[in-house]
Formats: sequence, C-alpha cells, structure tokens
Amino acid sequence: MNLYQPHRMRIEEITDETPDTRTFKLVFQDTALKDTFRFSAGQFGEYSVFGEGESTFCIASPPTRKGYIECSFRAVGVVTQAMRRLGVGDTVGFRGPYGNTFPIDRMKGQSLVFVAGGIALPPVRCVIWNVLDLRAEFKDVTIVYGARTVADLVYKRELEDWSKRPDVKLWQAVDPGGQTPDWTGEVGLIPKVLEKAAPSAQDAFAVVCGPPVMIKYTLPVLSKLGFSDDRIYTTLENRMKCGIGKCGRCNIGPVYVCKDGPVFNLEQMKKLPAEF
Amino acid sequence: MTGTILSQSDLAELVDHLVAEGTSVIAPVPARDDARRTEYRPIRSLGEAALGGPLPRCSLKEFFLPPSQVLLRYRQRKDGVDLQEVPTTFAPQVILGARPCDAAGVETLDKVMGWDYRDELWFGRREATTIVSLACRGVDSSCFCHAVGLGPNSTKGADVLLVPLNGTPSAHPSQPAGVLAESVDAFLRDSEPFAGAFGLEAKGQKPPPVVGYLAEPVTPKGEALLKGRGKPATERSDLEEAQGFVKVARDRVARNFAALQLANGHLPEWLANNFDHQLWKSLALRCHGCGACAAVCSTCHCFDIVDEHDSYGQGARRRNWDSCQSAKFTLHASGHNPRQTQTERFRQRVMHKFSIYPRRFDAILCSGCGRCARVCPAGMSLPEIVGEFVQLAGPEIPGSVR
Repeated sequence: MNLYQPHRMRIEEITDETPDTRTFKLVFQDTALKDTFRFSAGQFGEYSVFGEGESTFCIASPPTRKGYIECSFRAVGVVTQAMRRLGVGDTVGFRGPYGNTFPIDRMKGQSLVFVAGGIALPPVRCVIWNVLDLRAEFKDVTIVYGARTVADLVYKRELEDWSKRPDVKLWQAVDPGGQTPDWTGEVGLIPKVLEKAAPSAQDAFAVVCGPPVMIKYTLPVLSKLGFSDDRIYTTLENRMKCGIGKCGRCNIGPVYVCKDGPVFNLEQMKKLPAEF
Repeated sequence: MTGTILSQSDLAELVDHLVAEGTSVIAPVPARDDARRTEYRPIRSLGEAALGGPLPRCSLKEFFLPPSQVLLRYRQRKDGVDLQEVPTTFAPQVILGARPCDAAGVETLDKVMGWDYRDELWFGRREATTIVSLACRGVDSSCFCHAVGLGPNSTKGADVLLVPLNGTPSAHPSQPAGVLAESVDAFLRDSEPFAGAFGLEAKGQKPPPVVGYLAEPVTPKGEALLKGRGKPATERSDLEEAQGFVKVARDRVARNFAALQLANGHLPEWLANNFDHQLWKSLALRCHGCGACAAVCSTCHCFDIVDEHDSYGQGARRRNWDSCQSAKFTLHASGHNPRQTQTERFRQRVMHKFSIYPRRFDAILCSGCGRCARVCPAGMSLPEIVGEFVQLAGPEIPGSVR
C-alpha cells in the first residue's frame, strides 16, 4: 500500500481541555485494524482532515488501553483549526504509529518523575497512564505539571484523579498571576516547583516535556537532584510532513526526529547541534 | 568496453518501436521558450530529440518525484469520507540521452526513498523506467561531476550507457592558452551554455556529426532493451574512438575547480564538527533563499504534503516539491523556528548534501551537475563554497571512514 494512505478514524468523543485545546478519542473505522493496531509510549502519528491537510501529534493515550487512540491539539494552524470544526462521528485520517518509544522496559522497577508544562502534557500523559496501568511494576511516581494559568491546565479531570491517588505525588502549578482565588496548587515556574518537590533521583527516571524555555531551566534542576543525562528523557517536536524519513524537514543535524526520535535522552541531545 | 554499436538509424528504430508499443520515451528536446537550451520531454521520434546538446535545464527527478504528485483522492460524504488510493505501478518509460549526472542523482535518491519505509510511488516509477545515459560531449564551467566521484561516462543509475562515435578517431582539441583566454572562455561558456565545448565552436568549427553510438548495457533491464539491436562492437577503432571521446570530456571537466575533491572521506565528519564555523555566516550572506537551486537540483528531494480541493467536497492530497531554503520550511505552529535565518537554512542544504546524507547513506547527495550554480541569482557556486570547507578540512586522513 502507498505509505501516505491514511486510515480513517471516527471521532468517538471530544473533550474540551482549555479554551483552545481539545482531545479527540478516535476509533479505527476498519474493525480489523481496531483490534490489531499496536503502538508504544512516545510514538506519534500524522492526523489529517481531508481537504485541509495533515498535522503531527503524539498519541496521547497509553498503549495499555486498546481499541482507541487519543490526541490533544491546540487550534493554531490550518489543520488544527479545521479539526476544531469537526464533531463526534466525523472522520479524520491517521498514519502511524511512527518514531521510537520511551524505554518502558528499562523504567520498570524504577521510580518516575514526570515534568510537563502547558500543552506538552499529552506525550507525558501517555507514559503516565502506561505506568499507572501497570502500577505494581514501578516504584514512586511524581508528577510536576504547570501551565500559565489555571484555565490553561489540560486534562483537568485526570489531574484530579491523580491528586487523589495515594500512589501518585502530584504537584500542580500555575505561573504567578495565573492563579484563581480558589487555587490550592503551587504558584511559580516549573523549575522552582520541581526544586521544591525535590524528588529523589535514586533508581529513578525523569520524563520532561515543555516549551524550550522551560526545558532549558528544568534540566539543571534535574541534574542538581542527581539525575544522570541518560536518565532524563524528553520528546522533540519538530515540524514534520512525511513522518517516515523522506521529506527532509525535521532533522537536527544528522538526527531525523521522525525516525531517530521523537524520544531522546539528555545524553543524546547534548550531542546534537544547537538547532532546535 | 564491450557492447553494441548502434547507428543513428538503429536508435531511431528503437525509438519508433518503443513509441509504437506504447512506451513513453523521454529525451532532451529544445526548450519551448529558448532553442539554445534543452529540457527532458516525451518524444515521438528520434528526430525530435536534441541528444548531446546542452545540459537540460532541469534534472530527471521530475520523472520519479513529480513536482506535484497525487498521494490519494478524497470525497466528503454527509456521513463520512471516501478515499481512493493511487496506483503504485506505472506504465513503462524509457529515458533516452540522460546525462550521467542526472542518472546518478536518481540512484542516489533510492537510498532515502528505500530506507526502512519503502516509498512505493518512487520505486514504482523506478521499476517502470529504463535509463539510457549518453556520455557527455560537452562540459561547461559549472560542471563538477569529477569532484563527487562521477564522470562524463559514469554509469551510476544507468541501464545503458551510450558513447557517441563520429567515425573518425577523435583528436584532443587544443587547450585555450593563458589565464585570460581561460577566463574569457569560461565567461562565454557560462553565457551560452556549452558553446565552448571542446573549444571547437569557439574557433568557428562544428563538432563532427555523430554517426552512431557504442551502447554498453549496465543492467539486465538495459540488456533487454538492446537485445537484437545494432551489431556487436568488435571493431578496435570504434572502441578506441569511444575511449578517446570519454578521455576528452573527462580531461575537460577535470579543468573545472582544479583538484576539487568533494568525495573526501574526511569532509562529512569535519562539517558535522564545525557546525558553528564562522564561514557559514559570511557565505550565506549572499543567499536570497529563493530555492531555485533546490528546484533544479538532481538530488534535492524535500517535499511538502498538502490537500487541494478540485471542487466542492472533493480533491487530492498531494506531495509538492519544497525547499529547505524557505523560511517556513521548519516553522513550528507555535511560531518557533529552529532555522531562523538564511545562514541556518543555507547550512542545512550544504550539510544535508555533504555531511548528513553521506554519514547516513554512504553517498554524497550531489551529482555534480552544476545546475545550482547556473541558476543562482546571487552567483553562488556550490563547488566553490564546499571547496572552501574542503580546504579547511584538509586532506583525507588515510583509513578514516565517513
């Protein structure tokens, strides 16, 4: 089959996360594929609205939940704004899964620290649920998540679930000025909140996703906490078209984000030229 | 060299036969808007072709990666979307008189099109196509195939190689004397592509007419094409003439960018290690970012994927040529752009060709056709630019691997 031929998926459910961010729950229209489709945490796909084009997002639901996938998107471009106009029952295209994965097997038996900012929670959420669905196989789970304002926090119902779970330590934060009168979480930038949370680096992996400026100031904090470079993971989000190493767009120096990534650890990232 | 001698009439018969059986035959023909230039287009008889003329304006890549290619068709219904797949098998085509650099470029691209995910739209066309290369009669001052390890009779990517014969042993043409003559020569050649080939036309002489070709099969596909055609090449004089022909062209192209060697095993690593070299900025200052170089390039293959409506509710998803020289190429939805200025974009193009591709696929993403230098509105010459880095990188360290 032609590599660029997408599968058709039906929008099963739409959740408004923030004023400009939505989550689609998608089910393959091809019932055979619905049962056989497999992916791993960290992989992405090319989602499309026919007549508008394709856009690249991670698969935000965990591989432990079968029969559907989810994607979360902010309506900013042609395709995402078209996606926003779709309703339950409408059709979107999907190609994937593409790219590499988080080392879930290596993470087993270890503690996990998730750090995310704003709209960057979806790729991390995939790993979080993957880990929580297999909770007994992991040690401590710490989640530090923040956004500019309370309204910008995504997956609010899940944040509430996580905050109630005794086996998850959740730190929620908003930037100064972004809090509401009834906000009970932290007020401050992610690196500061992470410092305060001070999760142990003993037998632990960190998964960090966020805007470049957040990453820049968060990495030194993780290093100070004792995380070695090969235990700090992130996903890189470069503009892509093909997703399969042909269109020549997403590379950072010699590394193709679509094929060699999107998941990288800090050790690998330090070898990349500063062009991302 | 072994092979078949094809007379002009043998070749004309071959074209007639192919056209009659419905095979599309593509050859260089005089350009519609400028008869001094040529472009690859379908022909119905050999008479339409301008074999051995100046280098066609664009490379062969459009016959494998069309500038705008339908990936699928869609039609929106009230309760869903119908999708129509496009075929991945194609009608046979023969490219006659391909430039060796253009054929080589196509083979180089097989690597990126076939690693891991196999691009059936590319390989479908590759399998349906037989490439008959024609050794170059002329060379202009932008040609640099020798610097990337190819040459005027290179068989990379070809199914058959034709070497022209004119019935008389070729004499080595006299070299223009002195530096001034050389630069005037170069200027004339650049203004009128190939006018100075071999220095013959410049003296008011016409090159001897081609009476036939020594045809050398390179692949089984090429053997099948030649089967039952022409006569076996047994005459010693024919073989010597063909060798002489190639030597002349080879010597001529070797005079361009003296001793430039881009197939330097040391260069890909050196470029990667000198990502932030100050020279990038000063070199890139001249670049407008127009992307003309990428459009005419035999190996630039970057593309965009867009949906275009044909009429209300239906249309096609297409892949269109794109260029890393455009500012929007890497622009994120957030407004962030990893390649902010033309320096980064220009560096990306050079890096992709001479560092990234060689390190990943063990092949330079350049076939030395020189089109980028010919079309650049700012007069930037890729061989000169990369030559600067080659000088900085120093000679290849023996035993080093790229």
